[in-house]
Amino acid sequence: MTETEKEKAMDVGTDPLVDDYLRRLGSAASALPEHRRDELVSEIREHLQEALRQTPADDQAAVRNALERLGTPEEIAAAAVETEPHDQGDAVFERTNALAVASVVSAVLWLAGIGAVFALVFGYRAHRQIKDSAGAQAGAGLAVAGIVLGWIGVAVLVAGLVLIAVHPNKAH
Amino acid sequence: MSQLRKGALEYCVLALLRDGERYGFELVRALSQPDGLLVSEGTIYPLLSRLRRDELVSTSWQESESGPPRRYYRLTGAGKRALADFGEEWARFRDAVDALMTTPRS
Repeated sequence: MTETEKEKAMDVGTDPLVDDYLRRLGSAASALPEHRRDELVSEIREHLQEALRQTPADDQAAVRNALERLGTPEEIAAAAVETEPHDQGDAVFERTNALAVASVVSAVLWLAGIGAVFALVFGYRAHRQIKDSAGAQAGAGLAVAGIVLGWIGVAVLVAGLVLIAVHPNKAH
Repeated sequence: MSQLRKGALEYCVLALLRDGERYGFELVRALSQPDGLLVSEGTIYPLLSRLRRDELVSTSWQESESGPPRRYYRLTGAGKRALADFGEEWARFRDAVDALMTTPRS
């Protein structure tokens, strides 16, 4: 989030008081993950843009009043840190999706047989669960690996069956 | 007291969205109108993003005739249910507290 993003808003983008306030907010919110911090700062900037929409550019009293109503940057940052699901911006703990692991294990254990089918079923399910978890679950790579191995397994199985059908004698 | 206010505030936001979508600044000004509800306007924004994360509200950007686009908030199905549940709970809670506060002790 940079100043250039809101170039058109002449008052807020260039006002030194606002600038200083947003800078303080950014550093007070340093415990937040970066995208949350950027989002918070741009929301407050948008708020100020609305609040000062009708005010002349040099009306410092109006700017001060709008900033006062907002509260201190530290107050806002503290409220934001408090509402974060993982307190103090701790690294998000991702749990590896169990079905993704099951998918790869099935594929490896019995590549040319029923394991391949399990690998596909588990793999696709895991993939969907991980997607739905919106970042809370890890293992997307594993799920894809399980799916790929599963399809390879199915291909080998089909090739084997075709070979047996074409050369029934050589299969024994 | 601040915990009580904080807890009720999120439902006040949901209540403001009951009749349709509103943008952030509009919500903040509506909440700062009544005396004693809001301490500082800025702390509403972290609350709004939590409501969004909990999927009680959804947001969309819309153009405005006079300035940059605005982020509008609207209730989701889960938001409507949460608001309805709180409405009942709150009425009981308020009556219970009022009764205790106003009954003269003998």
